[in-house]
Amino acid sequence: MKLSRRCFLSLSIGGTVGTALTPLPWKLTDDMSIWSQNWPWTPVPPDGAYTYINSTCTLCPGHCGIRVRKVDDRAVKIEGQEGTPLNQGGGLCPLGLSGLQLLYGPRRIQGPLKRDGERGKGQWKPISWQQAIDEVSRKLADIRSQGKPQSLACLTDSDTGTVPQLFKRFLNAYGSPNFFRMPSVEDAYESVLSLTQGVDGFAGLDLYNADFILSFGSALLDGYGAPPRVMQAISRLKEQNGTLVQVEHRLSNTAAKANVWLAAKPGTEADLALSMAYVIIAQQKYDTDFIGTHTEGFEAFVRMVQERFDPQKVAAYCGVEADVIVRTALAFATAQKPLAVYGKGKGQTAGSLREALAVHALNALVGNINRVGGVQAIPAYDYLQWPAVMTDETAAAGLQTQRLDRARSPEFPHAQAIVHRLFETVNASPGEVQALFVAEANPCYSLPGSANVQEAFDKIPYVVSFSSYMDETAMQADLILPNHVYLERYEDVPVRSGTTRPMIGLCQPVVAPQLNTRHVGDSVILIAKALKGAVAESFPWADYESCLQEALGDQWDAISDQGFWAAAESAPASLDNGFGTPSGKFTLMDETIGAVYQVGEPSAAGDASEYPLLLMPYDSIRLTSRYVGGTPFMLKTVADTVLKGQDGFVDLNPETAAHIGLGEGQAVRLSTPVGEARVRVHLDDGVMPGIVSIPRGLGHTAQGPFLAGKGVNVNRLIAPVEDPASGLDAALGIRAKLTKA
Amino acid sequence: MDSALIPDGVRRCPLWKFLLGLSVAGAVLLWGVYAMLLCWVKGLNQTNMNDYYGFALWIWADLAVIALGGGAFFTGLLKYVIGKDELKNIINYAVLIGFICYSSALLILAIDVGQPLRSWFIFWHANVHSMLTEVAFCLSCYFAVLTIEYIPLVLENRQLDKVPFFHNLSHNMHSAMAVFAATGAFLSFFHQGSLGGVAGVLFGRPFAFREHILIWPYTFFLFTWSAAAYGPSFTLFITWLTEKITHKKLVKDNVVFLLAKISGWMILTYIAAKSVDTLYWMFQTAPAQGLQWHFFYQNNAFYGKWILFTEIILCGWLPALILVYRPLRERASWRVTAFVLGIIGVSLNRWVMVLQTMAVPVMPFDEWVLYIPSWQEVATTILPVAYGVILIMISYRYLPIFPQEKELNPITIPNGQEPELTTDPQDLAVKTMAVSNSVEEVAAT
Amino acid sequence: MKQTQTHNQKPPQRYGMAIDLDKCTGCGACMVACSAENNVPFKEDETNKLLSITWMKVFRITNGREFPHAEVCYLPRPCQHCAGQHEGHSPCVSVCPATATDYSAQTGIVSQIYTRCFGCRYCMGACPYHARYFNWWDPVWPVGMEKSLSPNVSPRMRGVVEKCSFCFHRYQLARDKAYAEDKREVGEAEYQTACAQACPAGAIVFGDLNNPEHAVSRIAQPDRHDHYKSQNPRAFRLLERLGTNTKVYYLSDREWVRKAGDNYLADENPSASTPPKEHA
Ligand SMILES: Nc1nc2c(c(=O)[nH]1)N[C@H]1C(S)=C(S)[C@@H](COP(=O)(O)OP(=O)(O)OC[C@H]3O[C@@H](n4cnc5c(=O)[nH]c(N)nc54)[C@H](O)[C@@H]3O)O[C@H]1N2
Ligand SMILES: Nc1nc2c(c(=O)[nH]1)N[C@H]1C(S)=C(S)[C@@H](COP(=O)(O)OP(=O)(O)OC[C@H]3O[C@@H](n4cnc5c(=O)[nH]c(N)nc54)[C@H](O)[C@@H]3O)O[C@H]1N2
Ligand code: SF4
Ligand code: SF4
Ligand code: SF4
Ligand code: SF4
Ligand code: SF4
Ligand SMILES: [Mo]
Repeated sequence: MKLSRRCFLSLSIGGTVGTALTPLPWKLTDDMSIWSQNWPWTPVPPDGAYTYINSTCTLCPGHCGIRVRKVDDRAVKIEGQEGTPLNQGGGLCPLGLSGLQLLYGPRRIQGPLKRDGERGKGQWKPISWQQAIDEVSRKLADIRSQGKPQSLACLTDSDTGTVPQLFKRFLNAYGSPNFFRMPSVEDAYESVLSLTQGVDGFAGLDLYNADFILSFGSALLDGYGAPPRVMQAISRLKEQNGTLVQVEHRLSNTAAKANVWLAAKPGTEADLALSMAYVIIAQQKYDTDFIGTHTEGFEAFVRMVQERFDPQKVAAYCGVEADVIVRTALAFATAQKPLAVYGKGKGQTAGSLREALAVHALNALVGNINRVGGVQAIPAYDYLQWPAVMTDETAAAGLQTQRLDRARSPEFPHAQAIVHRLFETVNASPGEVQALFVAEANPCYSLPGSANVQEAFDKIPYVVSFSSYMDETAMQADLILPNHVYLERYEDVPVRSGTTRPMIGLCQPVVAPQLNTRHVGDSVILIAKALKGAVAESFPWADYESCLQEALGDQWDAISDQGFWAAAESAPASLDNGFGTPSGKFTLMDETIGAVYQVGEPSAAGDASEYPLLLMPYDSIRLTSRYVGGTPFMLKTVADTVLKGQDGFVDLNPETAAHIGLGEGQAVRLSTPVGEARVRVHLDDGVMPGIVSIPRGLGHTAQGPFLAGKGVNVNRLIAPVEDPASGLDAALGIRAKLTKA
Repeated sequence: MDSALIPDGVRRCPLWKFLLGLSVAGAVLLWGVYAMLLCWVKGLNQTNMNDYYGFALWIWADLAVIALGGGAFFTGLLKYVIGKDELKNIINYAVLIGFICYSSALLILAIDVGQPLRSWFIFWHANVHSMLTEVAFCLSCYFAVLTIEYIPLVLENRQLDKVPFFHNLSHNMHSAMAVFAATGAFLSFFHQGSLGGVAGVLFGRPFAFREHILIWPYTFFLFTWSAAAYGPSFTLFITWLTEKITHKKLVKDNVVFLLAKISGWMILTYIAAKSVDTLYWMFQTAPAQGLQWHFFYQNNAFYGKWILFTEIILCGWLPALILVYRPLRERASWRVTAFVLGIIGVSLNRWVMVLQTMAVPVMPFDEWVLYIPSWQEVATTILPVAYGVILIMISYRYLPIFPQEKELNPITIPNGQEPELTTDPQDLAVKTMAVSNSVEEVAAT
Repeated sequence: MKQTQTHNQKPPQRYGMAIDLDKCTGCGACMVACSAENNVPFKEDETNKLLSITWMKVFRITNGREFPHAEVCYLPRPCQHCAGQHEGHSPCVSVCPATATDYSAQTGIVSQIYTRCFGCRYCMGACPYHARYFNWWDPVWPVGMEKSLSPNVSPRMRGVVEKCSFCFHRYQLARDKAYAEDKREVGEAEYQTACAQACPAGAIVFGDLNNPEHAVSRIAQPDRHDHYKSQNPRAFRLLERLGTNTKVYYLSDREWVRKAGDNYLADENPSASTPPKEHA
């Protein structure tokens, strides 16, 4: 066969065209593209009807207003509620924004669980709600019948609002005074307000209207108070050309954004504040009207300050030069609306009462108490008008007993609860606590000295957790009665942070409960009812929702409609009758306060020769160290110089690192008098030489694969240091050393 | 066993030896195929590439093999268009090497993309402004051309040639070859260039970015030029290697010298242009973007200034001068050294244009990022080498690749005796071959 | 795109951002809001930042000085929606061989079409801001968590590139609403990005740079006759000298921060303007 050129060409061209004309190549390519776009394992979110539900975030004391976008029955996005008093700007923090990862996330507890096997081993038997309630009430009836109702203790996140109050009421009816709330800066402010102003309430810091903010280590831009509202206030301060001065040993984000950063040595802040008071007094820049008319003890205060807090003297040890102290004090005193802020970090510890008093004294000197742009004392919420608790004999006897922490005793008259003392008591005399309720708190993780807390848990015979998540404390429980998460439930949340006017946010169910959980309020009511008698009678409500409706009374409709209630914007309490002290005046100094100033700052535990460095925890808004752990989205924001793989980092000044012979990224052993851990080193010029800086919020041992085993829990490395004045934990940090691993 | 398939008048090693060699290369090939399947099934997480290193080892390998495969188009151009007829004695091999290089490049690309099943979107949704579109079009077309150039060679196999249809087809294709070669050269000019353009147009990457002539950055021309310059060196190097392995002289020296000389002059002109380009970039392009040239060669030992010196001086000017200077060119040791340096040089050029470009931070607060390929990347990169070896082994054994082989290695000489050397006794390579002839049995393929 | 065929003669929109670095606290809320809004996948370990998808990424920059003179600034980096030297010549759009990323003349937004992208990653190499991310893995949501996915943004499959879209789906919704209500324009408040909305410090302002009514144009003060260079002395754009002509403007009072936005030779004064070079 002879193939001509023509034949060859027509064959090849014909072949090509012929194949192209068949459906084959087109069908194949089309199939390929469809298939590669529809891999069945890539989810396709179903569309549906869009709705928005307003609610309140309860994940931190900020209690921001949120707006949740839903598609049919799925919540798909949490946003800030714009333009409400709960959230003027509409911004939210990373935790609040990723709340859906808590709602739908894998660390939730599916239903009631009973321990099955050794404590802490994570072996559980699912039981029914009926069984669970029967079980607790049987146990509690047992303890009560032995005449030791006071050995039931309860620890919750806060003590305001119906849920904590239901717990407290339960303890009252049952016969135990041992109701505890987790420590916070509010403890210190309460003591300060009570000591200086005779007020039972909380401090409303009017950051939004101040024009000069002098912060003593408060993480104003890293999660202090109500983070979005505080940040917004600082942005406004900048817009108005106001001044932010940050006193802090570390270049925190707040220090970084401040107009002036004063790197005072940790533990010298109170002295620094008092030396500023010295300057203000010496240069006669204080508010003579306020001091003259509305204060008492000024002369004594002046004497104390003059004797001990000459800026020259203070400068010698606090790390801030005298002329800087003078300049700052004068700028503060001559500002229109200066405001000094107390509270370390996010305010999750009480800290030093002495420092809190000194900072408050600065505010008093410039007359900025109960004023716009100043510190306003907001009376405690009193909207819960419940019928009196029925107390039977057993209860009456139990309530007569001394609180385990001696709070509100003559020893520590101003403290509401001293949590570390609870666990110290248990460790010292194990029989004192027979049963413990824990709700919305994770003491085994979040409390300094968590190793001691852990030890105490081992000694408490019966632990009931109401946690929604399998956290470190739930792991130690005998029984878990899982609560709905905040997006599935009603709850009133009285706001105490970042506001100068009383507000109650309403947390309402955005979606139906996803799992076999129950509202913690309902659990408490059911347990009470199961106990019968006076305890049951103290809980007349059919369920939590009716209890809440009754509590909010006339406000209910408005609140559930709007999502919050806020007191009308009103002038701060008048100075003439705003103080509940016997004299009706602001007490700058008296015997009690003088005694507080007299004692020194509680010093960090540990021997400086063995532990040459100081370990200082810091707070970051990209991490959370409260009872809910961080979310996968938050972990995306955590820098690889904070966490890398499973390794946590500490920050060191390059000079300190060079001294020990450490380089960037190097692994080291970090030891303190109470514990040790393997960490890696990150060099940071923002860290004061001699200090080891470590983040709070890592090092979970529970909380699922996104959190567990990552980094180091600083609470395992530090221990509480009791403030001799308040009894509260005032530990700033702890002595430490680094050795090459 | 397979003697019926072996071209007339040449000698090949025993089949068992051939199969043994084949299985060694085959094992490497299978390793690469396994890695390739991992990448396809599990995805590109099998590599150590990352969001800073979106282009890495593979793209370098791609650019490098295409540059080295440039011998095909340039030799074709010289033979069919410019009329250097002697080169007909090496053109088959150049085409084969080109075919291997280009098919490898396409295979690597198919592994490299995240959605291989959608690769055809590049044609269907083509963005004509993209250098990669130009690359894809020209590369596929030129690969088709190479296939067309390779097919008649396959058809010349002794048995296939007996089929009249194949015989005629082969004949017809041969007569049309000039047209294909010219088309191929044209296409190559563009895709080699557009590969250079790939880096040169990145105006967000000051290390790679170059000023333009019309729509083409300087790298466009430099890449084409360098492929034309170093490609023939690679062809000659592989030819030399084949001769060493087979212990046969396969191409006459005059052919080798001619191509080496052309390659030398091409390298010389290229490296001069490249030097000017580099100086212009150092003192004009980079500073205009606020960067000192040494910024790009700091921070880590790997991308130090040595890399610039090696590419341009050691592996550019030096081989160019060796090949241009006749006495050195005609000495096998010098010549082959120059080939090797040249191959390293052009590969290094492709390396820095891809990998150093990715390593250098552009935002002042960003960081240098280094990357080490995973074994899957290494295996898939070696895969084409094994594939190339196999294709050369098969082609050499069964196809009349080297027209001068019969003449240079007459088999009238009884077995065991030294073949007559018809080449210049000065040639070191030939000397070596003569000396080692006694081990021919062991090594010959 | 169809958008170029519009008969509408009013000047096109040019969506952009102004981010006040003196306000930004580095809180990361923008990163989280963006991830939640756009169904960004996540893994158990997100600490390898070279493999972690963050359409919005907050960089931490320092002045390099010693304690206590060290300063820190945070720089949030969404996609800069580069226009290039002539509109649409973005570094990434110009190189994508499959037109899987495109420049909208109507909005100035650089889109990313996941179902068209075939994962060649050329665009990633082209982007000097590292704003583009590759899906090295199949996205996997722990059981139950897929419930939180928004239907407005399709989850991406393995093997494709993704990046900040200026929340384009929000634009689409707003535009549809505007049409439905017989309005001509999308209002400033109607189309806001998730990050701007979430920023607690109010550091991010988003809107139409071509619309003098919009806050962003008053802040950024782009000069339409000079590649939209800002006329606000506090403002700068990232790597302006490369000629990327971005739509994200940064503001700071601090000289060292403004200087960190671009590369300068030792003897150059950043405040003096260097006009970007023209190139094809
Ligand atoms: N991020 C993201 N990007 C996408 C998509 C996505 O889902 N997400 N979807 C993609 C898809 S599927 C598409 S089709 C495209 C759509 O993208 P485009 O085709 O760009 O769609 P539009 O912006 O709706 O329409 C273009 C213009 O048409 C004008 N117009 C409206 N009515 C008329 C009319 O009657 N006459 C004329 N002449 N003009 C009119 C409008 O003013 C508008 O400016 O976007 C693609 N891009
Ligand atoms: N409101 C409104 N309506 C419109 C338009 C508009 O702009 N606005 N535009 C019109 C136009 S131009 C078009 S083309 C159509 C488009 O209309 P549709 O085709 O409905 O487009 P989308 O809503 O973008 O996507 C549909 C669904 O596909 C899912 N999806 C995304 N990626 C994938 C995938 O890879 N595989 C699978 N299986 N699903 C996936 C998405 O999550 C979404 O739920 O809408 C038209 N209707
Ligand atoms: S600041 Fe607190 S209340 Fe507000 S969103 Fe964040 S976690 Fe929720
Ligand atoms: S920032 Fe990067 S991804 Fe965004 S438009 Fe510019 S080049 Fe493209
Ligand atoms: S990775 Fe996708 S978007 Fe990027 S250039 Fe390739 S095809 Fe285009
Ligand atoms: S504009 Fe939208 S997509 Fe872009 S970073 Fe902000 S939230 Fe993410
Ligand atoms: S949310 Fe705002 S303040 Fe926080 S990092 Fe982003 S831009 Fe900065
Ligand atoms: Mo469409």
